[in-house]
Amino acid sequence: MTDLPLLNVSGLSRRRAGRAAVTDVSFSLNRGEVLGLLGVNGAGKSTTLSMLAGALRPETGAITLDGEDFVARPAIARSLVGWLPEAAPLWPELSVDEHLLAFSRLRGSSRTTARKAADAIVARLQLGDLRRRLAGVLSQGQRQRLGLACALVHDPALIILDEPANALDPVQIGELRKLIRERAAAGAAVILSTHVLGEVVAVCDRVAILHEGRLRHDAPLHDDTGGKTLETTFFGIATGAGA
Amino acid sequence: MSLGAVTRLELRRLAVRPLAWAIAALTIAWLAWTFVLGLGQFLGAQVKLAGMADAPGFTDLVAIPLLAELAKLAFLVVPLMTMSLLAGERRTGTLALLASTGLAPWRIVVGKYLAVLLWLGLWLLATLAMPLVVGAESTADWGKLAAATLGTALLLATLAAIGVACSAATSFPAISAAMALIVTLVLWTIDRGAQAAGVTGGFLEWLTMATHLQNLLRGLVVSSDLVWFALAIALSLILATRRLGSDRERQ
Repeated sequence: MTDLPLLNVSGLSRRRAGRAAVTDVSFSLNRGEVLGLLGVNGAGKSTTLSMLAGALRPETGAITLDGEDFVARPAIARSLVGWLPEAAPLWPELSVDEHLLAFSRLRGSSRTTARKAADAIVARLQLGDLRRRLAGVLSQGQRQRLGLACALVHDPALIILDEPANALDPVQIGELRKLIRERAAAGAAVILSTHVLGEVVAVCDRVAILHEGRLRHDAPLHDDTGGKTLETTFFGIATGAGA
Repeated sequence: MSLGAVTRLELRRLAVRPLAWAIAALTIAWLAWTFVLGLGQFLGAQVKLAGMADAPGFTDLVAIPLLAELAKLAFLVVPLMTMSLLAGERRTGTLALLASTGLAPWRIVVGKYLAVLLWLGLWLLATLAMPLVVGAESTADWGKLAAATLGTALLLATLAAIGVACSAATSFPAISAAMALIVTLVLWTIDRGAQAAGVTGGFLEWLTMATHLQNLLRGLVVSSDLVWFALAIALSLILATRRLGSDRERQ
């Protein structure tokens, strides 16, 4: 483990559909840290996460991942990044097991390693009963868990989760929080985008608030005195009453 | 390794979707019927053929017309098989997810292309099995049949590459299929105007796909025909790769 941050984002900007979706966003993230990314709809959270996952190229700015230029070499995402997009896109005709094996193989694992990794994540996310079920017949919550499993199957150093608690029941949300803390304790850096302030308070070390594509707040969570202060800060930014 | 993973993933998806099975069953049934009809006509004409000095044989009258029938079907079958490869994935968001695994666009394009190519190869083999079984017991012209098979295989590979390029160009599988069909028809008949004007042997004739397939179906293996197919495949796959690469810029 090095002292350098795992992820360093500097001056990130991107236009989408003719308007500035993300403007001059900069932050860094250390190993073992959980960053909560908050913002109202259209604040630029998903665009930022897509760029960090390598699915979208920034127009300007730099992303350094594990000391390497991620914009120039998106292939380093292969082993380092795990991404759960907002709608958990899956192949409806493939089973849970086939998804996990495919994602592991796509990330370069051998057949044996992929099988072991799939078994481990199935056990951890309690997907055993669903292994042979097709993704197309899963409930929304089960799809979300499968999407999460696909993002984590290769044990990435940077985990990017876009609204991971969508459609999960309270017990599953509790499990998700435990899983995030577990991965962070094992040295992974986690970015968690959510609308739910309580989610951030429960699991994050730091909170960043995006508004109209700009980063308006980035501070350790313990600087605030609990959820109420975060709520005040968030609504202040979201309503334009100040940061 | 990841190229193989993309191919395996696509093959698995092809294997569990009903479209590939339905197309295979319906077209092979149609081709089998065509083959039986052709064979019946060939057998019925045996006496007449025996009296001719340089009479066409089983290969000319049964096997090659069967491959030509498959080539006709391929105009519709291949766009249907390729339409969802990239367009469908872009629409559902799984293409961005694939890109986020760090796979280079060319690996995604070629991996998917190889999967469809394998399916088309099996389709061709299933069709070819019919004349091969009968031909083994008769006097088939194996050299001519091999050239015609090569031509049909190259046609399928070219149509698949065009289909992949069209699928890369849009988010709508139906539009991708329509585009691939139109591009194929244009390439097939691009010299029609020149022919009507009595012009032969020019660039338009070289550009026309039919020119190159017809040589091979006649048993003529000419290197310029092989180069044409290779160029068409390479150009289509390059265009698909470039379009996929630009997804990171465009979305």
